[in-house]
Amino acid sequence: MTVTTVRPFPTRGHTARLPWPFPDDLTEFRYSVNVEPARVVRRTAAGEWGAHIVDLGGEEYGAIMADRRRILDADPTRVRVMPGMAPACWDLLVYYLRDLAASYPHLMELDETATPAGDRFHWRNHALGTDQVFVLGDAASLPCDPMTFLGREVPDDLLLVKERDGRLHFDAGLVTFAAAWSVSFDVGMSMDEIHQPVPGLTRAGITSRAEQFLRRLPADQVYRRVNWTLSASGTRKLDVSLEELPEWGTDIPALVRDEDWGRLQLRIEVEHFVRLPMTGAVTFNIRTHMTSLEEIRQVPAWRDQLARVVLELPDDIAAYKGFLDYREPAMAWLTAPVGAAPHVGGAG
Amino acid sequence: MSAPAVERAVERYPAHLHPAYATGVRSLRVVEVVRLTDTVRHVVLEAPDGGVLASYEPGAHLVVTTFPEVLPTEADQTEKRNAYSLTGDGVNPRRYAVSVLRRGDGGGSDWVHDALAVGDLVEVEGPRSSFAPRHDQRHALLVAGGIGVTPVLSHARAVVRWGGTCEIVYSYRPGHGAHLEDLRALAARPGVTLHEATTVEHTARVLAERFADQPLGTHAYACGPVPMLDAYVDAAAAAGWPEGRVHLERFTAPELDAGVPFTATVASTGQRLAVPPGTSLLTALLDAGHEVANLCRQGVCGECLVPVRSGALEHRDLVLSESEKSAGDRMLSCVSRGGHAGAEIEVDL
Repeated sequence: MTVTTVRPFPTRGHTARLPWPFPDDLTEFRYSVNVEPARVVRRTAAGEWGAHIVDLGGEEYGAIMADRRRILDADPTRVRVMPGMAPACWDLLVYYLRDLAASYPHLMELDETATPAGDRFHWRNHALGTDQVFVLGDAASLPCDPMTFLGREVPDDLLLVKERDGRLHFDAGLVTFAAAWSVSFDVGMSMDEIHQPVPGLTRAGITSRAEQFLRRLPADQVYRRVNWTLSASGTRKLDVSLEELPEWGTDIPALVRDEDWGRLQLRIEVEHFVRLPMTGAVTFNIRTHMTSLEEIRQVPAWRDQLARVVLELPDDIAAYKGFLDYREPAMAWLTAPVGAAPHVGGAG
Repeated sequence: MSAPAVERAVERYPAHLHPAYATGVRSLRVVEVVRLTDTVRHVVLEAPDGGVLASYEPGAHLVVTTFPEVLPTEADQTEKRNAYSLTGDGVNPRRYAVSVLRRGDGGGSDWVHDALAVGDLVEVEGPRSSFAPRHDQRHALLVAGGIGVTPVLSHARAVVRWGGTCEIVYSYRPGHGAHLEDLRALAARPGVTLHEATTVEHTARVLAERFADQPLGTHAYACGPVPMLDAYVDAAAAAGWPEGRVHLERFTAPELDAGVPFTATVASTGQRLAVPPGTSLLTALLDAGHEVANLCRQGVCGECLVPVRSGALEHRDLVLSESEKSAGDRMLSCVSRGGHAGAEIEVDL
């Protein structure tokens, strides 16, 4: 008798774990309230994804977290917590640590004890070497604020929205991997204000429907949504925030000039929505994945679908996503037979 | 290929992996029953395994299935669902506690007084948030009348728990001040003040005084009988408080007339539902097979909120603020209706 044990810790490589953002039959992309239940495993042309709320990223986990911690150490303004949001940050921390310990029991442990001094938690993350005891609500029991503590353990950007005056507001966030936006600029804004620049989103009532969805998010459900663009950098760099604009602003013009299309990155964002029970805050946490056109070209179904979707996109959305000017040559390279594609970049 | 999520899911997990996020229908054990006054009974519940219960927002209520002798409506109904405010701070609780006033009408509250005993299992659902504090309040003015003290106590405990400041006004009849000792104990801590009032006149005077003397950024919250809430709203208005800073929770809703006939279109299916006078939109939706969560059916609890795409509305609830009502993008389907006879509205379901 053969016993097969499946290790839940994914080790089968980047492409196999990738949350491909399009359903099989999709040929035209438009913004919609494309939410679905979380924790549903989805098969893709190259593997599968989606079993857990937090995707550690397999063998990439350590590198992502080193990047995250480097950014947080260098720029504390990536964490923004509006007045009165500290309880919601504790709510978030406890939810995620409990979820991690249940999802990755061989890597992470959380012990909880009620003590006269309060609710004591002992968190151990064997992958990163974290061993921390803290008391819920006691800021002095952690080396940093609770949102930062969690942000140094998980690869997700952490965003909390909460209702004020009948509107949801983005009132706390830890964001090191923003796609051309800044947490310092957006924090405190309503959903409407944040999404005003996205073409068609407000006019089509999508922002208000998304807001209704989040406002009515039931306490006993967790949902997720996948979003995508072509990255503003031709590298795996996750941090293409406005804070870092000088570091990446010239990447794409150089790539376009060199016609080095294989380096273009499809940027995929998986968002998770959890209503936190102690405060009613709702998460809008974002886990970012990157894959290059070179990698996508290896998977025919992905290659063909991405080219179709990108080329079909209306000009205003393509301009908003930043690739209106170069999508045609880039997609021509992607779909050209391997070997026949002109590849100037790198060859000088 | 990227498979459709639901049809070809390889494996489906529950939404939450940790038991402390369970809010569905489940049984809890009565571990303590305390007589607070002649008419108020305090009931403490625990999970049968003693585990951590779901946290909740201050002012939240627990739905308890009761088995009253006098049943409200349908002849075949043998149980009733009553909502009782939780009295704790809501932070990672291992116990839920509610305080129930005997109404003396043979209903659910009488059942809690006469039938419940330590060791019993009771069926509960929630907690559900319906009277939460504003997270960015800089100070809270908490006003309680009679048994309305229960959510106010929850708010006060949460303020203390998170290091905030508050002022409490408690209006009660002498000898009937449930949780008075709890409030006095809280008021012994820095940042918490308690004002007691035992007559209608005294209550009105204290309210006028306290509304006139609050720091900028204060939010006010009140729970109690209708006359006290009216006095509270009047005192706030007289002191020039903006409506958005004056919150209240009512126990009972005013009587409503049967209302106008109107038509509701369900956006997802295009189905048109005629809603005659005397029938609520909620009933029409439920009868047509749409699942709409609901609880009080009086426009008080906020459970049956439905999003609205278009059409004139007549809001008759006590949940939405004036600005939410004028936005016209949501309504409480149990009491609110089309804006005029023959109105056409489209609900986003």
